[in-house]
Amino acid sequence: MTAQSQLAPQETVPDPRPRPRASGARLLRTLAESPEAGVIIACVVVFVVIAAKAPTYSSVANLQVMGRDLAQVGILAIGESLVILTGGIDLSVGALAGLAGILAAWFNVDAGLPAPVAILITLVICAAIGLWHGAMVTRLNVPPFVITLVTFTVAQGLSLAITSGTPINGIDPLFSNLSAYYIDTVPVPALLFVAAAVVAWFALERTYIGRQIYAVGGNKEAARLAGIPTGRRITSTYVASSALAGLVGILVIGRMNVADPSVGPGWELIAIAAAVVGGVSLFGGEGRIAGIAAGAILLELIANGLLALHVSPYFQQVVQGAVLGVAILLDRVRANYFGRGRR
Amino acid sequence: MTEVPTDPRSRAVVARLRGVHKSYGPVRVLDLPELDLHAGQVIGVVGENGAGKSTLMGTLAGSVRRDGGTIEVDGAALEPGSTEAAGRLGVTMVSQEFPLVGQMSVAENLLLGRRPRRSRGRYLVDSRALRAEAEEMLAEIGLSAAAIPVNRQVRALPVPTRQMIEIAKAWGRRPRLLILDEPTSSLGPVEAAMVLGLARRHAEGGGTVLFIGHRLDEVREVSDRVLVLRNGRLVADLQPGEATEERLIREMVGGEIAHAAPKARPTGSDVVLRIEELTADGLGPVTLEVRAGEIVGLAGLMGSGRSRLIHTVAGAQPATGGRMWLADTAYAPRGPRDGTTAGIALIPEDRKEQSLVPFASISSNVTVSILERISRGVLLEPRRQRDEAQAIAAHVNVRMQSVEQPIGSLSGGNQQRAIFGRAFATRPRLLLLDEPTRGVDVGAKAEIYELIDRAADEGMAVLVASSELEELLSICHRIAVMNHGRTVEVIDHGDATKERIMTAAAGTANLTTTAPGNGAIA
Repeated sequence: MTAQSQLAPQETVPDPRPRPRASGARLLRTLAESPEAGVIIACVVVFVVIAAKAPTYSSVANLQVMGRDLAQVGILAIGESLVILTGGIDLSVGALAGLAGILAAWFNVDAGLPAPVAILITLVICAAIGLWHGAMVTRLNVPPFVITLVTFTVAQGLSLAITSGTPINGIDPLFSNLSAYYIDTVPVPALLFVAAAVVAWFALERTYIGRQIYAVGGNKEAARLAGIPTGRRITSTYVASSALAGLVGILVIGRMNVADPSVGPGWELIAIAAAVVGGVSLFGGEGRIAGIAAGAILLELIANGLLALHVSPYFQQVVQGAVLGVAILLDRVRANYFGRGRR
Repeated sequence: MTEVPTDPRSRAVVARLRGVHKSYGPVRVLDLPELDLHAGQVIGVVGENGAGKSTLMGTLAGSVRRDGGTIEVDGAALEPGSTEAAGRLGVTMVSQEFPLVGQMSVAENLLLGRRPRRSRGRYLVDSRALRAEAEEMLAEIGLSAAAIPVNRQVRALPVPTRQMIEIAKAWGRRPRLLILDEPTSSLGPVEAAMVLGLARRHAEGGGTVLFIGHRLDEVREVSDRVLVLRNGRLVADLQPGEATEERLIREMVGGEIAHAAPKARPTGSDVVLRIEELTADGLGPVTLEVRAGEIVGLAGLMGSGRSRLIHTVAGAQPATGGRMWLADTAYAPRGPRDGTTAGIALIPEDRKEQSLVPFASISSNVTVSILERISRGVLLEPRRQRDEAQAIAAHVNVRMQSVEQPIGSLSGGNQQRAIFGRAFATRPRLLLLDEPTRGVDVGAKAEIYELIDRAADEGMAVLVASSELEELLSICHRIAVMNHGRTVEVIDHGDATKERIMTAAAGTANLTTTAPGNGAIA
């Protein structure tokens, strides 16, 4: 019975403004409505604490390392988040990033194409894969989890098949220039991460298309009834996610100066973790770029910090998993705060 | 009540329906040979649950695809089953479930899917224009921006406020035909009066309002014309002067009802379920007794708490107060499992969603509740399971080829019988039924009534919630009428008439007093 939301008759027009509450409750509400604030605070705290214990942590050289790492995880997380905002998930981004690196290197080295052309073709292929994901999800109702898992498997296999398992050497210097250059002291990949974040923020917050993506993720039926082209909006997020994965793949081969077929798979989980830590709800419709970027930064600060503190690398995954666990716990606490307003 | 407007404008036909009909399975839920809706009128629509009101509205608004017939809006044909097409022709519906995006702001919800009229960019969000237009839309229906801050997330707002936002959203589309589906059911008296005022204003501005009401006094107050639906047919088309409350109820329930032969109410048998002052979210206080071999019905309108009472007794919804006893033992379920252990079987309302695994076999579906009993430790015994399934299916007369066929391949009535078989197999003391005949055809209904009778004959106490009065009248020893979460009247079979039940169910006398603790403000 759907009309269970029967209300007691009320004597006055309900005033939705919250009654004056204790400041603790107000703080709770602020944190519940904008979890980004909490993640940003966590970034600052983690940075300050680790920097105090390990002096090398805040050195320029280390910050540059973190900046380049961040480009990988952060750009993947932004694309991944777009998909999650619509209520989907993209498991293919890590493997696709790996395949993109292999493809770009293969076009450049084995097919002899100039580097810019190789990059362009690679990005177009990735975008086409995203389009395919979107079409399968919106036209045939294939669960996003399944269709992107297919791509994950195929992409991982293709990387190995193309290279027969051996890395491709001799790629154009343009690739490493993309990854190794600095503007002033800031590594280019870090700037690309910032650029991707700004573009995504602008698209989501300042354009109708972005707002409609939130609407589709928040309540698909409401969006459909309001005349929003839900299928196209969902598909666009898969295209963006795959294209950004392609970009990451190209940055990675530049950084290593070799296209290694074994890199990539596994990154999708870090990307998803960054999104969730940053306040993106896995049910869709909720999460902002500031939080996603902060989530990616927090994970990188912790990962790098553990090295700086000489913690065994084997513990890294344990810590990352624990951070994700805490983030999911907080997400559910927040959901309960809003009560039955959501699933 | 206003007189029928004599203004010539009111003669213009806004919507013309010819031969519109709709069936769900074998049940024809709407059949309207001819209906014209005129401009400048508020047209009230009343009928019992399942009379076809919502189907009529959905057909017009495009959310329900009609099976046949034509609808013209201002002379243009309305394509079936498309809300977009209906919207283009100026038909807008405010439904009971508000399609709002909880995570987005009030302003964005109000302008969902379109740009503010004064927006500067084509693609870029002009948040100032958005806010301004949202505030105008609220002001348009008489709400101040101070009462509803347009920047708040919708999910943080109480349900009545959301309803008003939904109305503002519909109003802002400047519809020709505005459909309001029980718009006041979640509102307090002040906002309810506002909504009625808006309906009148729309009509006086030359538009048409189709107003589905559950409170007859409201419908009579606001309407220029009242349509009464029964079993999907238009049975009365009344002018305001004719539409007295008694007349409306009489038309809604139809003429004489063929009562089934009254059954003797078991006296002296043990009380199986005793409820005292039971309360839960949106329910109570309720006090009720059900004896062994007795069938007690729960009647009431949508949202009156019928299902909630059933669910609370079953342990599926937490009680917030009061006490229950099962055969003189205190019973305070913490979950449905406590209910089943205590000897309660629940047959829920939604067969597909809550009862069945459609693609699994009949055998596994009907034995799922008794697997512990028919297994050796944790190991299943396939042969024994199949034999039990055969026995269960035979007991309730499920027509099938084999117990191994998927239960989803059976007809609705056969599926429901299988579910009864599963419930009987647990040998319950108390059988809880929620809408036991929804979606089954007439023949199958009779067989399900027989099964309910048999349950009572076997000594079970039966509590059955139903929106169909005939059903309750023909099978129950007593009928408890619910209104706003409480049982307002318990009527013995011999004294029960549809009129009496409807009057109690739609009664307004006690509604303005303090209501039960239904704190559904999410």
